[in-house]
Amino acid sequence: MASNESFYDVFRQQGISRRSFNKFCSITAASLGLGPAFAPRIAHAMETKRRTPVIWLNGLECTCCSESFIRSSHPLVSDMVLSMLSLDYSEVLMAAAGHQAEAALQETLRDNYGEYILAVEGNPPLNEDGMFCIVGGRPFLEQLQEMAAGAKAVIAWGSCASNGCVQAAKPNPTQATPIHKVIRDKPIIKIPGCPPIAEVMTGVVTYMLTFGEIPPLDRLGRPKMFYGQRIHDKCYRRPHFDAGQFAEAWDDENSRKGYCLYKMGCRGPTTYNACSTVRWNDGVSFPIQSGHGCIGCSEENFWDNGPFYERLAKINTPFFVESDADRIGLGAVAVVGTAIAAHTAASALQRARSNSNAAKSE
Amino acid sequence: MITETPNGFSLDDSGQRIVVDPVTRIEGHLRIEVNIDENNVIRNAVSTGTMWRGLEVILKGRDPRDAWAFTQRICGVCTGTHALTSVRTVEDALNIQIPENANTIRNIMQMALYTHDHLVHFYHLHALDWVDVVSSLSADPKATSELAQSISDWPKSSPGYFRDLQTRLKKFVESGQLGLFRNGYWGNPAYKLPPEANLMAVAHYLEALDFQKEIVKIHTVFGGKNPHPNWLVGGVPCPINVADTGAVGAINIERLNLVKRIIDESRQFVEQVYLPDLMAIASFYKDWTYGGGLSSTNVLSYGDIPDNANDYSAGNLLLPRGAIINGNLNEVHDVDLRNPEEIQEFVSHSWYNYPNQDAGLHPWDGVTDPHFELGPNTRGTRTNIESIDESARYSWIKSPRWNGNAMEVGPLARYIIGYASNNPEFKEPVEKVLTDLNLPVSALFSTLGRTAARGLECAWAAEKMQYFYNKLITNIRNGDLATANVSLWEPHTWPHEAKGVGFTEAPRGALGHWIHIKDKRIENYQAVVPTTWNAGPRDAQGNIGAYEAALLNTPVANAEQPLEILRTIHSFDPCLACSTHIMSPDGEVLANVKVR
Amino acid sequence: MATTSETKKAPSGFFAKVIHHSTEVESPASKIYVYEAPVRFWHWMNALCIVALVVTGYLIGKPLPSIGGEASDHFLFGNIRLIHFAAGQLLIVLLVYRIVWAFFGNEHSHQLFLPPFWSRKWWGEVWHEVRWYSFLEKTPKKYIGHNPLAQLAMFTVFLLPLLNLVATGGALYAEGEGIDSYWYMAFGWVFSVYGDSFNVHTVHRLSMWVIVCFTMIHTYLAIREDIMSRQSLVSTMISGWRYFKDDKE
Repeated sequence: MASNESFYDVFRQQGISRRSFNKFCSITAASLGLGPAFAPRIAHAMETKRRTPVIWLNGLECTCCSESFIRSSHPLVSDMVLSMLSLDYSEVLMAAAGHQAEAALQETLRDNYGEYILAVEGNPPLNEDGMFCIVGGRPFLEQLQEMAAGAKAVIAWGSCASNGCVQAAKPNPTQATPIHKVIRDKPIIKIPGCPPIAEVMTGVVTYMLTFGEIPPLDRLGRPKMFYGQRIHDKCYRRPHFDAGQFAEAWDDENSRKGYCLYKMGCRGPTTYNACSTVRWNDGVSFPIQSGHGCIGCSEENFWDNGPFYERLAKINTPFFVESDADRIGLGAVAVVGTAIAAHTAASALQRARSNSNAAKSE
Repeated sequence: MITETPNGFSLDDSGQRIVVDPVTRIEGHLRIEVNIDENNVIRNAVSTGTMWRGLEVILKGRDPRDAWAFTQRICGVCTGTHALTSVRTVEDALNIQIPENANTIRNIMQMALYTHDHLVHFYHLHALDWVDVVSSLSADPKATSELAQSISDWPKSSPGYFRDLQTRLKKFVESGQLGLFRNGYWGNPAYKLPPEANLMAVAHYLEALDFQKEIVKIHTVFGGKNPHPNWLVGGVPCPINVADTGAVGAINIERLNLVKRIIDESRQFVEQVYLPDLMAIASFYKDWTYGGGLSSTNVLSYGDIPDNANDYSAGNLLLPRGAIINGNLNEVHDVDLRNPEEIQEFVSHSWYNYPNQDAGLHPWDGVTDPHFELGPNTRGTRTNIESIDESARYSWIKSPRWNGNAMEVGPLARYIIGYASNNPEFKEPVEKVLTDLNLPVSALFSTLGRTAARGLECAWAAEKMQYFYNKLITNIRNGDLATANVSLWEPHTWPHEAKGVGFTEAPRGALGHWIHIKDKRIENYQAVVPTTWNAGPRDAQGNIGAYEAALLNTPVANAEQPLEILRTIHSFDPCLACSTHIMSPDGEVLANVKVR
Repeated sequence: MATTSETKKAPSGFFAKVIHHSTEVESPASKIYVYEAPVRFWHWMNALCIVALVVTGYLIGKPLPSIGGEASDHFLFGNIRLIHFAAGQLLIVLLVYRIVWAFFGNEHSHQLFLPPFWSRKWWGEVWHEVRWYSFLEKTPKKYIGHNPLAQLAMFTVFLLPLLNLVATGGALYAEGEGIDSYWYMAFGWVFSVYGDSFNVHTVHRLSMWVIVCFTMIHTYLAIREDIMSRQSLVSTMISGWRYFKDDKE
């Protein structure tokens, strides 16, 4: 058998027998219309196929995505990096540094052009000629675009790469820009979240390795399987929401009973993510279960939709420095009400006057 | 040209220039340049922070109760420590007293972070500077087993275990796809471990990778997720309900049992794997005494882990507070974060403008005006730097100073201050390590000293998790379930204007946040973080920072392979996203930034 | 008798009907049939829906104080939302019905949908109405349908916000139905317009307040005009007939 760890080895490690493996190869051959003679060739390819190279780049970010990735419990990240993929560049974990690290990128471009997956954590700043983020003496933007050119597919890890995240919150001083705005000719899979759930990250990668295709995406480019529903749709506190049972203050009787955190500003109803189902860190908990509302970290504008503890976002208007939809609305109602009252009075006055004029002229 | 720095170092930039960019196995983006002399000894060192995000300008005008979430995103490696600092800062400004349980739970979370962060740092960010992965292929599994069993009771130590692992590694290496281990400095003469020790360390590299994800589940229980758990101004967001209806939706006995199991396992892993490995590795590198830098002269710690809630005085802090200058261990100075004279930031060599370029500013008065400009002696172009000109501005990091002194912060600083203060919790373990390895006290002031202090602190933190867990149980047993104080939650209860400061000891060192609240909103927010202290560039007087000082006089075995540079830089556990986000309260200056 | 010089000048044909001008009358009949039954039916049903939607919508954004007991015993918030969704869907059906009717009904039935922004004369009349409401004009003009100012208001602060509410409301409802639902196919694009779900909620609520303000002004002016102007209003929307008061003398 081949000396490297191939798909076959991975199959074996996952408890699939040689017999099942051969059967799988026959079925694959048949389904591709190749006939039984091709089954051994497919088997051979599966036995010797190299692990998919992955290049993991870091731009402006906080490394929470890398940290989350290594939290994966199934698969274990040690199995990921030893058996399932070839993590050829990761500034957070790789042994090499400096020009040896940069060489790894050049080698990947040379040897695996069009074959590797580019995983991007963080985003490039465009201000100051991109020099708010420098890698190897050059703007990160250049490195990103160079490596995107030879990638088979691009994964946008986390809210930074997908949406811009915190450094792109108003006023976005560095002009940090989500990667789909600077990489336009490659399929991009967005995995938003700050960070994304570990098992969601490894789940997306293993889906691509197992089925050899990009997972089905929603209209924003997120995998439907993990981002197809809101946290609210599958929240275990949802019955309290429908019943009208809410926590009214931190650590009050209702929050101790585990009532719905809607009134505390929970963003579950507006946030697409798998937190309430997959949960965090091997399913231990998720924000709502631990008493704090969701802050909506996988949604595009969540930093600017604050305060996190209000149901309604702060809206800056020229008239009221800080307001929200209800304050503006009630303000408008008050103005209109006052105007109507004044107009009524003026109308009555005018009518009385014209009536008395009419009476005089008669 | 040879220059003498005011803080006592000799710099010579005449020799061959070596550039390491990117420095890997760190958080964020860092560039190191050094000059080596004809004997391959480092004679000049330049540390350049190469990223900037501007979080403080983004914070301006926002609700102070949200600030923890923004600042938490400064760093996802030391996740939570900025958030904790931030809620303390806001509580200080608004004079909010938190319940005892909240303080205890915060301490458990902070200690869980320490345990996790130090462990991951040692194995996954630092170990490959000491451990040759390829050498482990030639180890004898039986001898490895004997070695492992001689230093620890850790059960995974049979010859078969190491043989299986070696087979897996062999297949991995023979596949030609080395992945993470590609282009490493394998075979470099600076690697001193025998193959058996290498194999054991690689086994524990993988075990630690699988185990570290357990430790953070403590954050998940109390904060809902990790990285980036949730925090709350006025307490913690998780309510406690152990006996009544609905307890399953709160911190209950099942959740506490989970925390307890993780604490037990963490203590076991640290005591049976981390510390024995650390001692074993250190014993082979006893002669490698380089990398002390500022640690023998100037160290700083704010202190942290308040035993009782709401008391941040030095006497109530379990991690020691203080500053040592000029190497005088007999005098530990007090530190006052509010004193405008003590902590100041300088930008003479940073890519920022000050109204008075060479004057220092206290964080409450902090100004930042980004200004990217390379010096005249830079080789390369503005967007393709070959080597940087350290006589001009050369970093996105500012240079903080304590009473004008460049300081080192971090685990080693804390242990030196604890040692100098005769605090037995810190002094005794240090003395035991020195005795076991047969080393003098001066051996502490080194790269290895930094790495050892981190290991000792990891064990200390795991112990303290247990201490605070017991405290939490006692408090609950006494009927105190409170986790949040909401009396000053609503903004209408706040004063028109308030200033506050909050601090923690992050795993990497002293961390302070300063806030100015006006009309219920953030008027100014500043953070001075550990890596700013350690990685900062030279100041106006030419004093070099901790990274630069630590690199000096280190011999490099192979100038093509900067292994020794990585070793020393990694021993600080750099966190560059932390250090380089510093930004002004002054939004208007941004108009100068060129928009492409 | 009902014909006037103005209506004679109006262009003919289907399109002209749709982009109908406000019809000022100089010597109208004392009584004209303006609002056909389908329009009146729509008006009052729509009003009912809006009242239900505003009340329940307000409570969805700012829920009532929490209730106790077991969650399985209660469905209070669920019912509030159910009423909101039912009224919203009814409103959409009614709106479609009303648009269809604009093609079949009399000339007043499509006045709501496209004011003649291009007509200088029309703007002049809008200005006249502004002066009338500001007590600067002594005598109001007579209109069979809406006066031009009312028409402008109907379009900008009623029809457009209502369409916006339908779009954002449909989008928010589609989220509950799921991204593979027909609702989402119909309304998913709204999230691209406003950025994300949270912003859509904000816009939905702001639009609600516009409708609330509109309703206040609309009610007030209808009653006021009944008293002060030369034509009937409230009763017209009940019976369909417009009476011109000073012609009765």
